[in-house]
Amino acid sequence: MTIDQRPPTAEEGPEEPTNRPTPMHLFRNWLKRRYAKRLIWLTLIISAGWIAATFLAVYFMNMSGGPASAIMSEIELTMYVLAWVCAPLMGVTLAIALYSMIGGWGRVKGDKQPDQDGPGIRNNSIATIGWAVWVSALAAFLVVWGLVELANIQAFANGSVAANQQPNSQQSITVNVTGQQWVWTFAYPDQNKVTTDVLVVPINTPIYFNVTSKDVVHSFWVVEMGVKIDANPGAITNTGFTATKLGTFNIRCAELCGLHHAYMETQVKVVTQDEYNSWVRENGGVRLS
Amino acid sequence: MTTATVTVTIHEAPDVIQPRQHGKPGGLLRYCNFVTALILGIVLAALAYWITGMFTTGEALNANFVPIGINVQITAMYVGWVVGFMIGIGAFVGPIRWFLGRDLTHADAEYLAGRGQGRMKFWKYTTDHKIVGIQYLIVSMALLGFGGLLAMLIRTELGVTWAELFNPNFYNSIIGTHGIVMIIAMIVVVSGPLGNFIVPIMVGARDMAFPRLNALSIWLLVAAIPPLASNLALGGLRDGWTVYQPLADQAPVGMIGYQITIITFGFSTAIASVNLMTTIVKMRAKGMTWSRVPIFVYGIFASSLMGLIWFPMYQYSQWFALSDRVINTSFYVPAQGGSVWLYENLFWLLGHPEVYVIVLPGVAALLELMVVFLRKPLFSYKFAVAGIFGIVGLSAVVWVHHMYMTGWAPSSNYPFMLSTEMISIPISFLVLVMLGTMWRARPWTRLPMMAVYAVVWNKVIGGITGVFLSDVPVDQYMHGSMFVVAHFHYMLMGAGLFSAMAAIAYWFPKMTGRYLDNRWGSIGFWVAFGGFQLTFLSMFAAGLQGMPRRVLQFDSLFNVSNWISTIGAYIIGIGMLIFLAAVINSWRSGEIAPANPYGAKTLEAQVPTPVPPENFAVLPVITSDPYGYGSPDPYELEDEARRAALEGGEPAKVGAS
Amino acid sequence: MSVTEPLSPTTGEPVSVVASRNRLGVWFIIISCTTGSLSLLISYSYLWSLNVNSAWAPPNNAWATLWPFWAIFVGEILAGLAMRWGWKGMEKGDRGRMLAGSLISSLLLIAAFVGQVAQIMTFPFGPSDGAYASVTFWFALSNAGWVLLSSFLAFGIFNRTLAGKITATNASHAGLVAMWLVWLAGVAFIGAICTTTMQESPNTNSPDFGNFQEP
Ligand SMILES: [Cu+2]
Repeated sequence: MTIDQRPPTAEEGPEEPTNRPTPMHLFRNWLKRRYAKRLIWLTLIISAGWIAATFLAVYFMNMSGGPASAIMSEIELTMYVLAWVCAPLMGVTLAIALYSMIGGWGRVKGDKQPDQDGPGIRNNSIATIGWAVWVSALAAFLVVWGLVELANIQAFANGSVAANQQPNSQQSITVNVTGQQWVWTFAYPDQNKVTTDVLVVPINTPIYFNVTSKDVVHSFWVVEMGVKIDANPGAITNTGFTATKLGTFNIRCAELCGLHHAYMETQVKVVTQDEYNSWVRENGGVRLS
Repeated sequence: MTTATVTVTIHEAPDVIQPRQHGKPGGLLRYCNFVTALILGIVLAALAYWITGMFTTGEALNANFVPIGINVQITAMYVGWVVGFMIGIGAFVGPIRWFLGRDLTHADAEYLAGRGQGRMKFWKYTTDHKIVGIQYLIVSMALLGFGGLLAMLIRTELGVTWAELFNPNFYNSIIGTHGIVMIIAMIVVVSGPLGNFIVPIMVGARDMAFPRLNALSIWLLVAAIPPLASNLALGGLRDGWTVYQPLADQAPVGMIGYQITIITFGFSTAIASVNLMTTIVKMRAKGMTWSRVPIFVYGIFASSLMGLIWFPMYQYSQWFALSDRVINTSFYVPAQGGSVWLYENLFWLLGHPEVYVIVLPGVAALLELMVVFLRKPLFSYKFAVAGIFGIVGLSAVVWVHHMYMTGWAPSSNYPFMLSTEMISIPISFLVLVMLGTMWRARPWTRLPMMAVYAVVWNKVIGGITGVFLSDVPVDQYMHGSMFVVAHFHYMLMGAGLFSAMAAIAYWFPKMTGRYLDNRWGSIGFWVAFGGFQLTFLSMFAAGLQGMPRRVLQFDSLFNVSNWISTIGAYIIGIGMLIFLAAVINSWRSGEIAPANPYGAKTLEAQVPTPVPPENFAVLPVITSDPYGYGSPDPYELEDEARRAALEGGEPAKVGAS
Repeated sequence: MSVTEPLSPTTGEPVSVVASRNRLGVWFIIISCTTGSLSLLISYSYLWSLNVNSAWAPPNNAWATLWPFWAIFVGEILAGLAMRWGWKGMEKGDRGRMLAGSLISSLLLIAAFVGQVAQIMTFPFGPSDGAYASVTFWFALSNAGWVLLSSFLAFGIFNRTLAGKITATNASHAGLVAMWLVWLAGVAFIGAICTTTMQESPNTNSPDFGNFQEP
């Protein structure tokens, strides 16, 4: 928003210097301009389009059956929040550029250099300071939201739950994940070392993962759970999730690991507790604890 | 006008006491050119390969079970190539003459600058910054063409979802080669041609600060390319452009080509950066204070500064990788105490600032040229400078956002998320400068101006998706997926390459003396732009659906978006070919352009075209910044008057609040 | 700027203008080399702190002897000081001091190079003996490279003084080389301080490669 930039017409005459206009009055004056109204409309339309696009984005994310864990739900919520708070900024930016491009303020075609210069506006402290404050506030909000959500999903990965819910007293399961060119191996040390290449986990039970690699860097990505951690040779990394949805979901390798990286994928089967127990028994495991 | 009357004259050669002239002007460099460089490079490469072959046996294996012998031989071959090429082009003549005390005479310097050598000067160790600029333009266009061709192969493989066209080794190799070739091309595409050709004139200098280093930087770049390109013949570079360890240790010897290229290119970049920065700091015209420097110069300076500081990290990461291969050290061999996280940190310490190294010069060029087509002053010059240096400052502390999911230090994700999201603030400053300059202006719809709008769109998409990726929870889903690929193509190609095209179109008349054909240039540009949206918007969709990057086969869920991407990629290819044809055609027979085709106020627009050898007959003196467009805004004057009246009339009110 | 200041034969500018430009250029190169050497420091301290696969230490804990690092460092410091002493003399018109200073500097650098090579030959480990050995080799190798380059520069100054190219009014090249040599000693210092202060890794509990430790 800028201070009055239109010359007073002859009828209006020079403004009274002592008659100090309020900011609201200036704003209303500004709104009377043709371009002001159009810019506001454009901003609204573009922002709305962007918000609609975020629904499409999350629709894409859920096409293979997610969200299957609280972590994934938080990620999708965060997508919405980030997109929505950025929407006005995106709208304003594209609206001004678009309006200028389609000649809202006029334009000059052909190869003859324009003979008339634009207004010599070199600065506008309301615009610059306002913009800086707005963007900084936005960034601060994004940071705070991000930090809180990060703490949240880390807590979920550790099997605990958010502060406003009941603490989770269920038994947890530890799985040792080994990446190796180009297979995943899952070992269940608590269940008498059951080993499998398709992950099987019971629903609503916290699963912890210790992840390592026998050769190069892989990345353990349980797609619909929203969980990803690199499998590094010579180091153990940790993550975890609690499945909230029965079904079969995808595990992929998300770090280029050599020739057959593309085929380094497997599945996670989320089953009921009973099914899980019988699966463990069938595989020669004992529920130790 | 920015120039005032000028009284500074240079001392002509006869005024100055000359050292003794050894032989004809130019000395040994008279006999050095591209052909001798090629011959000597190939001879030395063969010699090094043969000699090391006598001392190494092919038996011994390194920690990753790769034979050491052939690694030593191939390394020696590449080193032989680079050294031989540089000897052949004449790069070592200068240091040796310095050692012997045979300093250059004025006549020598004139010869080195390529005076009176016709077209041959483009094939020699020529020091004139204008020649070097043209050489850079050709080299970067060749690199872009090569990388673009590889991109077409990649998209073809991904579009043909029902068959595997390439074997995995070749596919992974073209992915890696495409990546690193494009990165190198994008690093040089603005700073090289325009930084060398335009910046010295823009700041009012007669040449770069170190003309011989300027020649050294371009020829090092030329020497660096064949090792990289030849990797495809030597088993490939199959680990992506990031060549994460220890996977890269397993790769065939083609990987050595990558390492030698990065090491050589690192020297080239450092030298070019030192040269540009010294020129900008020390050789500005009289009166060109830091608040009168054109914004493009700031962009080049900031980009060079980041490259200078951070490139050595990348270079050293490749030195270590090479020594892991050749002398069996274990920097990145975990079984022997090395760490993959060490590699990732060293790599991304450059890897992230490099994004700004690529994007800043292009964006600064857009700021510089849009004022000319909008006929308005740059909006809030100080805000733009603050934005540029804010990016430089923050770029040093954001590299870990590439490593959120590596698990190297999970608690570091908190501070690095903070710093990464902070960087959107200085970037948004540059956006505001663009918007403020567009505000109430009547754009002149030439290609460079229209490209600004295209780049704003791409930057917005790239920026907002960047906000997603900077957020650790969202990145936990997106990391390593096609979403990331689409995002950085929006930044590097959408913002970087398209603004480079605009900048080259804008300065084309100055560099070649002819207009770039606006009609065909625009058609090519917009076709490529349209194809670009198709390709990468649908690639976002593939990433959201969960498609990992760098795969050649995938779930049928991702088929549709990949088909669309591939069609889009072909459209980009067609658009780029049209643009290239327009460039070549205009260069050969375009309409002759006047010295100042667009009515700009920067210095380079004030010198004649073609630019005379010394750039300025008399050195200019600067009295204002180059943005004096428009009459002073009448309404602003009115505001001033009103404010003055108010403050005069109601002093109590001001004091009370 | 004195009245009799000579002018650059190639550009016609006063040599002090060219000298200040060169000085800034050398500063920029030093910045670049500093971050390069920092990556060695990062590698050393990071691998030291990680002790991946318990393979930081060399076999039988045969660490490198420390005094050669410091001896080479002192040699480089002295080389830099000698060059500086000669340069200051030259600026006062004392050509003898310049010749002596640059010659001493060159010889010291050659000695440092020889010492560096001798150190590399006598390390009680090979480059493949664990992470400590790798980085220590690199400290030594990169220092050898730098010293070799620097001795070329120092000898060049000596030779140029002999050829009459370094004069009281145009001695800036000697000053630049002196500046560079101080930085060179800085690199050697990084190596010396790292190897002296960080030997045994603080991490005695690193996981075995490819396995999961039982808690
Ligand atoms: Cu993998």
